Amino acid sequence: MINHITPKAFILLAMLQSSPALIGKIDFVHQIMPVLKKNCAECHTEGKKKGGLSLNTLGEFLAGGEGGEVAVPGEPDESYFLELVATDDTDDRMPPKGPGLSDEEVHLLHQWVQEGMEWPEEIRLGSSGWEPQLKPRVVTLPPAQAGRDHPIDRILDRDLSMRKVPLPAAAPEETFVRRVYLDLIGLLPTPEERDAFLNSTSDKKSEELVDDLLKRKIAYADHWLTFWNDLLRNDYTGTGFITKGRTQITTWLYRSLRENKPYDQMTRELIDVNKESEGFINGIKWRGSVNASQTRNMQFAQNVSQVFLGINMKCASCHDSFIDRWTLQEAYDLAAVFSEKPLELERCDIPTGKMATARWMFPELGQIDKNATKNERLKQLAGLMTHPENGRFTRTIVNRIWAKIMGRGIVHPVDAMHTKPWNEDLLDYLANRFAKDEYDLKKFMHFVMTSHAYRSQSDLLSGEPGLEYAYNGPLPKRMSAEQLMDSIWQVTSSHPQNANAKVERSYAHKGNLPTEVKQFAWPEKINAKWIWTKERAAKINLRKEIVLSEQPVAVGILATCDNAFSITINGKSVARSKVWQKPVKLVKTDLFNSGKNTIEVQAEMFGGSMGFVGQLVLQFTDKIKVIETGPDWKAQVPEKDWSTAHTEKEYGQGPWNKVLHSSDIQDGKTGPEPPVRASLVANNFLMRSLGRPHRDQVVTSRPSSLTTLQAIDLANGEILSDTLKEGAMRLSKSKNTGQIHNWLYRHALGRNPTPNEEETLLAVTKNSPEQQGLEDLLWMVFMQPGFQIIR
Amino acid sequence: MNSFEALQRRDFLKQLGLASTAALAAPSTSLWGNEQIPHPQARADSCIVIWMAGGMASPDTFDPKTYLPYEDGLEVKKILSTFPAIDTNVDGVKISQGLENIAQVMDRGTLIRSAIQPDLGAILHSRHQYHWHTGYVPPITVAAPHLGAWMSKVLGPKNEVVPPFINIGQRLEGVGEKEELKAFTTAGFFGSEHGPMNLPFPEQAVQSVQPPKGMEPGRFSNRYKHFKSLLDQNPNRENMSDFQGESMIRSMEAAHRLLQSDEKHAFDLTREPKDSANKYGDSRFGQGCLLARRLVEQGSRFVEVTTEYVPFLNWDTHENGHTTATRMKKEIDQPVAQLILDLEARGMLDRTLVILASEFSRDMMIEGVPGSTAPDQSRARTDNLKEMKQYGLHRHFTGGSSIMMWGGGVKQGHVYGETADERPLMAVKNPLSIEDLHATIFTLMGINPKTAYEVEKRPFYATKDGIGKCAKGVLA
Repeated sequence: MINHITPKAFILLAMLQSSPALIGKIDFVHQIMPVLKKNCAECHTEGKKKGGLSLNTLGEFLAGGEGGEVAVPGEPDESYFLELVATDDTDDRMPPKGPGLSDEEVHLLHQWVQEGMEWPEEIRLGSSGWEPQLKPRVVTLPPAQAGRDHPIDRILDRDLSMRKVPLPAAAPEETFVRRVYLDLIGLLPTPEERDAFLNSTSDKKSEELVDDLLKRKIAYADHWLTFWNDLLRNDYTGTGFITKGRTQITTWLYRSLRENKPYDQMTRELIDVNKESEGFINGIKWRGSVNASQTRNMQFAQNVSQVFLGINMKCASCHDSFIDRWTLQEAYDLAAVFSEKPLELERCDIPTGKMATARWMFPELGQIDKNATKNERLKQLAGLMTHPENGRFTRTIVNRIWAKIMGRGIVHPVDAMHTKPWNEDLLDYLANRFAKDEYDLKKFMHFVMTSHAYRSQSDLLSGEPGLEYAYNGPLPKRMSAEQLMDSIWQVTSSHPQNANAKVERSYAHKGNLPTEVKQFAWPEKINAKWIWTKERAAKINLRKEIVLSEQPVAVGILATCDNAFSITINGKSVARSKVWQKPVKLVKTDLFNSGKNTIEVQAEMFGGSMGFVGQLVLQFTDKIKVIETGPDWKAQVPEKDWSTAHTEKEYGQGPWNKVLHSSDIQDGKTGPEPPVRASLVANNFLMRSLGRPHRDQVVTSRPSSLTTLQAIDLANGEILSDTLKEGAMRLSKSKNTGQIHNWLYRHALGRNPTPNEEETLLAVTKNSPEQQGLEDLLWMVFMQPGFQIIR
Repeated sequence: MNSFEALQRRDFLKQLGLASTAALAAPSTSLWGNEQIPHPQARADSCIVIWMAGGMASPDTFDPKTYLPYEDGLEVKKILSTFPAIDTNVDGVKISQGLENIAQVMDRGTLIRSAIQPDLGAILHSRHQYHWHTGYVPPITVAAPHLGAWMSKVLGPKNEVVPPFINIGQRLEGVGEKEELKAFTTAGFFGSEHGPMNLPFPEQAVQSVQPPKGMEPGRFSNRYKHFKSLLDQNPNRENMSDFQGESMIRSMEAAHRLLQSDEKHAFDLTREPKDSANKYGDSRFGQGCLLARRLVEQGSRFVEVTTEYVPFLNWDTHENGHTTATRMKKEIDQPVAQLILDLEARGMLDRTLVILASEFSRDMMIEGVPGSTAPDQSRARTDNLKEMKQYGLHRHFTGGSSIMMWGGGVKQGHVYGETADERPLMAVKNPLSIEDLHATIFTLMGINPKTAYEVEKRPFYATKDGIGKCAKGVLA
C-alpha cells in the first residue's frame, strides 16, 4: 500500500522496475552506455586499445581485438566479452580492477546482445573524436584567389577550390540590397532606398550600405532585440510573471544594443549583474517545488553554459551526460557559483550526499575562489568567461551571428559547440578577429557582410541540410515572425501604436547644450530626495504646489527618474525622459506665475529600483529659491488617494550615485520615436503561430518552414486580415492605382513585375471594389515565397 | 516473415510514408538515433480527451464515499462526499448523483480510480495540467510536446486534410494563467505542424476554416487562384526554388485544400441535424463534445474538449464546492454520455479512445497529500459548517483521482484501482502515475512509450525518460 507518493518515490520505483526481466527493449543510451562507461571506457576508448580492443563505436566493438571478435549481435553465446565480464576467475575477468559488473549489469549486456546490440551511429562511447579547443587558435590565411582577398573569402575560396566547386557568383544587386536591409535592421528597403543603391555609381557601394545601416542605431536595436530575447529568454509576458518569479532585462538589453555595448562587457553584466540585468541569471522561480534539475541554481548552470559556451548542461543536471563529457559534478559546481547556500548534488532527484564546490569547467584559465561571497564569485566567473584565452566564448557567439546572417552555423546546431565545424579555420579566424576588434558586434557583422561570400548568390537547397552539408554560398533564410510583421506593417504603414517593451528609442538629441543652461546659476549642492509612493507601484503621480509672491525671471529644472517621467508645470508640458542616466537639464523663463503654481510629475518604473529626484531653481532679480524633491511633495497611485511622498533614498545614495551632477544630460524634449516594431510588442496569436517562441527556455533557432496550420492562419486569421484591411485603406489614400503594382512589387519583393504578372495584378484590382482589390493584392504579394524568404 | 513481423513491417512502412510527407512539409525532428522502435499494435485510431479543468473532485463524481448532507454545525472533517451515490449499469459500481446519463454508459469502458500525481509543493493548476498533458513536470529545459502532438508526430494525420490535433474550448487569451496554459498547449519542439489547432468557441469553429470575415467564398478562391498564377508567372520560379519556398507553397495548398474540402463542414455545428445537436445541450462544453465527435468522424487524430480552465471557476472550487459541482455535473453528464452513444451508433467507439480526466482530485480537508508542504488554498475554511458555501471539496488532492476511459481497446464495465474508504482517500490499489497513464494511452494508440525523438542531441521520450509502464489491467 502506498500512502504518500513523492516524485522521488516514483523514480525509485522506476529504477526498481528497470531490472532486465521486466522491460521490453533495451535502451542503449540510458541502460548500456552507463555500464560501458563505468566498466570499459577507461581502457578501451579514446586512443586506448587494451588488447587491441577499442569500444568508441559499435563498428570498433564488432571489429574485435587481438584475439579476434568479441561480440556478435543477436548471439550472446558467441559473444566472448559476455563471458569475460561474468566470470569469477579474477585472472580473466573484465574489468580487471574493481569489483566488476553486478549481476544486473551482466544481464543487461546479455539482453542487449540478444536483441542485436543496437547502438546509434552518432553516439560514441569516447568523445566525439573531435574535441573543441578551449583556447584561441591562430589561423594562417591561405592566398587570395581571383583577387578576393577578404580573409573570409580566402578561407572559403580555398575550401571551394579543394572541392573543385566554382566560386559562387555575386547575387544580383536587387537581391543583395533586400538581403542586407533585412539582415541588419529587419526592414525592407523602401523603393527609394532601393533605387538609391542600384543607381549609386560608387565602387564601394555595398560597403557603404552596410556602414549606413549599422548607423541606424534604433532600427538595428529593434531588429536584433529578437535574437537576444530568444537567446537570453527575455520576454514581456509569459510563464513566471504571474507569481513574480521572473524579471525582464529589456531596458538594459535594448540600451546595450543601441549603444553597441561590446559583447564581453554585456556578458560581464549578465553574469556579474546589476538590478537591470539580473533577470537572466535569476531564471524563473516556479511556485511550488521543482525537479532538482530545475531550481534557479541549476537553471543558472544550464543557461550560462548554453548561451555563452554552446555547452549543454541539461543532461548533466540530472546525471553524468551520456552524450558528451559533462558530469553531474561539473553542472552542480557551476550552479554553486550562483547558489546562496551550500549545494548538495542530486542524481535524478535523489540526494547523493556529495556537496558541490563553486568552480567552473575550465581551470586552465583560472578558477573561482570557492570561499568568496556570491557576488565575488559571479564577478570572477564573469572575468573567466570573458578571459582573452577563452576561445569557446568567442567561437560560440561568432557562430551564432554567422548562422543568423549566412543561414547556417559553421557549427550546427549552434548550441552544440562540441560538434565539429565544417570549417575550423573559418571559425577560429572569426573568433580571433572578433576578440581583436574588442568584441564589437557591429564591427563583426560589418566584417562578414563586406565579404564576397555574403554578397554571393544563395545556395538553393532542395531539402534541409544534414551532416553532409558543405558551403556553397549563403543559405536562404525564412523571415522570422517579427521580420514578417515588420515588413507587412512597413509596406502598409499599419504599425501598432504601443510597445510593451520599456525601452528608450527616441531619436537622440544632438547639438550642444544651450548657453543659458551652461550659464545658469546652478547651486553646487543638491539636497533632494529620491521619492516615490509608499506603495511601490509601477506607475505613479507626484505633485508639489508652491505659492510665489512674484514671478521668477528664469527657472532651471534638473531632474531624472528611474525609469521614466514627464513633468508638467501649471498644465504645460515641460520635459520627459526614459533614461535615468541622462538627467534632464533646462532653463525656462515663462513657466511660473506669481500666486499658486503646480508642478506635476508622472513617473514610471520598468522594474528593479525606483525613484524620482529633482531640483528646481527659481531665479528672481535679487535672490534664488530652490525647490527639491522630498517629503513635502505629494504622491499618489493613479485613481487612489494622495499622500506624503515616500523617501526612497537621499540624493547621492543608491544605485544612482550623484547622477544629477553627471555631464551626460539631455533637454528632455525627447524627439519622436520611430514606429513600433514587432520585437517590442507582446507575443500574439499570429506571431506565435509563425514561430515566435514562448521564451521560458533559451531558444536559438526558429522553424525554417511554413506549416499547414500557419498557412491557415495566414489564409484566414483575423490578425492578418485586419492588418491588410487597414493597410489597404491607407494605401488607397496615398497611392493611385496606376502606380501601386510597381511600387508594391519593388517595395515588397525588390523587383518590378513582369508584363505577365502585371496582367494578373490588374485582373485582381480591376474586377473588385478598390479596397477589396488592394487587400487581396497585398495578401498575394505577402504570401509569395519571394517575400517571406530572404534569399 | 511471420504475421506479427509482417504487421510491424507494414506499420513501419506506413509510418515511413507519413514521416516523409511530414518531412516535406516541415523540418522534421528525427527519431533518437534514427532507431525504429517496434510499436504495439494500435487498438484505437483516434483519441478524444474530455478535460475536466480545474480539479474534478472524484468523491463527488466517479468515486463516491460516505455521504453527509448539509447540516448547520456539521463537523467538516467528517465529510467525504457531498452527494449520494447512484447505481450504474455495471453491477456493484456506483458513481455520484448527478451523473445519471453517464451511469448508463459505464458498461462501455474502464473506470480508473487510482490515478495519482506527484507532490509539487504549492499547487498551481497549470503546472499539474502541463504535467498531465506532456508527461513532464514544468519547468523543463525544452518545450515539451502535448499528448496530441505526440499522436500527430508518431501516427501522422488520419485524414491528410484534417488537422491531426485540435483543442476545443480553452481560451488562451483573457483568462488567468494564460501564459502557463500556452506553455503546454503546443507541439513544443515538434514544431507547429503538429498542432494544436485551437477552437475556443465551438460555435465559432467554422470561422477557422472559412474565408476571413467579410470575404465571399468566390473572392477567397479567386484570391488563391491569382496567387497561384503569380507563383507560376514569377520569372525566378525555376531558378529560385528552395525547400523553404517549396514547403511554403505546399502548406498554402494544404490550407486551401482544407478550406475548400467537404471535411471542413465538420467544423460547422449548424450542419448537425437539430434533434441530434439538441442531445448535447447548448452549453459551450456540450457543443464542444459535439464538435469533437464531428471532427473525429472526419478523421482528426486527437481532439481535446474542455470545460475550460479559468482560475476559481468551474471545477476549480475553492468555495461553494457542492453547488458548483451540481452545476458542473449537469453540464457534462448528458453531452459526455451522448458522445459515447453517438460514437457507438456510428461503429466508431471500438477504434476511438475517449478519456475523461482532470489534473487532480479534491478533498474537504487535505491539500496535496498528507504531509505535503502545499499551503491550504481553500476560501471557505471552517471547522463546522455555518453556511452552504463552506460545503464542498475545496482543497486540491493529489493522492487519488478518477479517470474514465471508454472505447478503443479498454475493458468494458471494469474498475481499475481503488482509493481508501476513509480519509486520506489515497489510491490503495494499482496507483497509476502520469507516466504509466501515458504509457497506457500510448500503448492503446499503438505508440511505444519508449519512443524517443532527438532534441538538442539528446533523447526525449514519449513518457518521461521512457519509464512509463502500460497498465495492462486496463486493456481489453
